[in-house]
Amino acid sequence: MKARRVKGLDPMASLGDNAEKIVRVRLDELTSFMPKAADPAKVVALHDMRIAAKRLRYVLEVTGSCFGPYAATAVKLVKDLQDLLGEIHDCDVQLPEVAEFLEELMAEDAASAGASPKDLARTPNRRTYAGLTALQVHLRARRRALFEDFLELWRDYERKGFAARLAFALSERSQSPEQ
Amino acid sequence: MAKAGEIEVDPYEPFALAAARIVRLRADELFDHSENVLDTSDIERVHDMRVASRRLRAVLEIFQPAFPAGDFKTVLRDVKGLADALGERRDPDVHIEDMEAFEAAVQAASRPGIDALVARLRERQARGNDTLAAALEHARESDLQRRLYSLADGAEELAA
Repeated sequence: MKARRVKGLDPMASLGDNAEKIVRVRLDELTSFMPKAADPAKVVALHDMRIAAKRLRYVLEVTGSCFGPYAATAVKLVKDLQDLLGEIHDCDVQLPEVAEFLEELMAEDAASAGASPKDLARTPNRRTYAGLTALQVHLRARRRALFEDFLELWRDYERKGFAARLAFALSERSQSPEQ
Repeated sequence: MAKAGEIEVDPYEPFALAAARIVRLRADELFDHSENVLDTSDIERVHDMRVASRRLRAVLEIFQPAFPAGDFKTVLRDVKGLADALGERRDPDVHIEDMEAFEAAVQAASRPGIDALVARLRERQARGNDTLAAALEHARESDLQRRLYSLADGAEELAA
């Protein structure tokens, strides 16, 4: 996902003012994926939301101390969100890989067997199916549970006013270390 | 996981000066993590270097307006290339670890086939290691670290 362009950055202006513009765009980018990403079938939206969380996290890690105190809290919240979306993404990557591998093994067995069901007793991969099928079941269950956790986490962020509080913190400036 | 170096920032300092300081720090972190990264017996090394590459890429993108445009483009391309190569090694590392954890957690009846899948992933890991070795060599030959410092120098000159 290509990052949204941040307009009006001025390298000669202060770090705080430029960083505020960047974080506002990245925060808006993150929140824009909801409610679309609340649909478990929207794999791409979830993936893009993870990338948006990563971008927001990294800019806050570097510049968060320019802003009001809630920015430091936000770094942790965004990291937790990114980690959870990352675990969902791992399931979304692994599930098709396992399915593809299983399909290859089944195709090999189908090619080696004849017309009789008795031929299945001699196919080379006949003993591998149980584990790979169990793995698919596990990955689906894990994905569903993680997705429920994600919805609950986002609801919690909404209840606690995450986006509004971070937006407010961006309008504040911490003291210069030299002051 | 490698913790990023603490960065003290002043909200009132010029953006370009902050860019120079932070890119130098993140570049140092990246290359500090490059030692023995091709060793597949310790997968945390490649993980730490990958995280460092993401942080470096992020600060390059954040501070882009402070850098000379032409140099920036090629440096960012090379940092992305290195990050992608680290990902090609890291992804099978993670999957192998997950599959081995699954195998250890389930009953014997649910294990058949997992070893074969891990063997397939180890082939991918070896190919990823070759890709990473080539990317590291390219970074060394093209003196990526010096070019990153040079970008930081350019940002400082802009602020002067």
